[in-house]
Amino acid sequence: MRPRRAAPVDDGRHDQPGLEKLLERVARGDRPAFEKVYDMVAAPVYGVALRVLRDPAQAEEVAQEVLVEVWRGAARFEGSRGSGVAWVMTIAHHRAVDRVRAAQAAIDREDRVARLEVRRPYDVVVESVETTLEWERLRRCLEGLTELQRESVTYAYYGGYSYREVAELLKVPLATVKTRMRDGLIRMRDCLGVER
Amino acid sequence: MSRDPHTLAGAYALYAIDDARDRLSFEDHLTRCAECAEETRGLRETAARLGVAVGKEPPPALRERVLAEIGLVRQLPPAVTAPGPRPVSRRVGWPRVAIGLAAACLAAAAGLGVVAYRAEDALERERLGTQRIYAVMAAPDARTVTGKAGQNVTGTVVMSRSQGKVVFFSTGLAALPESETYQLWRIGPGGALPDRLTRPDASGRTPPIILGDLGDATEIGVTIEPAAGSREPSGAPLMVMSLPSA
Repeated sequence: MRPRRAAPVDDGRHDQPGLEKLLERVARGDRPAFEKVYDMVAAPVYGVALRVLRDPAQAEEVAQEVLVEVWRGAARFEGSRGSGVAWVMTIAHHRAVDRVRAAQAAIDREDRVARLEVRRPYDVVVESVETTLEWERLRRCLEGLTELQRESVTYAYYGGYSYREVAELLKVPLATVKTRMRDGLIRMRDCLGVER
Repeated sequence: MSRDPHTLAGAYALYAIDDARDRLSFEDHLTRCAECAEETRGLRETAARLGVAVGKEPPPALRERVLAEIGLVRQLPPAVTAPGPRPVSRRVGWPRVAIGLAAACLAAAAGLGVVAYRAEDALERERLGTQRIYAVMAAPDARTVTGKAGQNVTGTVVMSRSQGKVVFFSTGLAALPESETYQLWRIGPGGALPDRLTRPDASGRTPPIILGDLGDATEIGVTIEPAAGSREPSGAPLMVMSLPSA
């Protein structure tokens, strides 16, 4: 096991020192601490919901659900199992993707696959995202992936597609998509210097 | 499911495994493979960076709405993860007397030995409608059906036609992230009716809960849904238990 708490944090907004400590206080019903948490994570939470859902009204609804969930479930955050930002972003990403999937469940599966994305999720993000240091750094790492790795990772994360759907969309075998998602993320992890 | 489950670590971190059974068996794999759990954790942190990098300030009104709403939301207690005895005052056992009748039919079928369940707290126990659960389990026409999902997951349904009720409990269900819940469904000729939500405790058991009126239901199903539950199942059920017709 590597030390988590003691390791120095790097410079991203996502790991401002103190999110974990603040979540502990939120778990005890500390509202001022929650307001600080809100200010740290509201933009990432809304941002991910917006990229996945693409509709600002729905993204705002999901962001509200997620942020209330952070208040409600703060006691379930366990620092030993990951960073505070990963905990919050996992909730946000899952909620946004769940909503996309629920909407798509109404559509016949054949239609869904036939409705081939004309626009790749990555292109949509590139066009709409605000240029920040954080984004530039991520983009540089994404550009360092092979095309199939990048497509696999971004179709899943920003497009909300399952690996089966990604395989169908990109016309590659399931096993290949699984592998590309894994080695693509590993390369991203190393490129970003994510603390493990 | 792949024969080499750890290749799913990337898909898992990207939330790209949409089949609940695959996700559960991968999580099950993580409990037995420390290296995989460590890798998955790192990939989850990495996936979070994909989200953080596309941050965007939400409309200012969101802040007021969220701060207003949290005033109305009761916070969850911490999850109890460490196995071991808990303070006696929080322990809610099944009274021996009530077990007598029910245990005879349950123990054999469910393989539980003793139906001893500890609820989170006394309030929760009240909400569970313990008395009504006993009534179903002890009914003369109580029938027990079990369902399996994988090797270790057993769902048990106790049905009483005379009472028109069904009780469900289970062992071995994997813990879910906060954003998800298990949901029960009463499945009949008209489709699946949404029923109760349930979560396993630290030992992987879900407490006995009483479901809605039996009606013309022929099966009870279990799915994984977003934390608030769903009106329609969003995926294939983890398990389905057919109710005896007589």
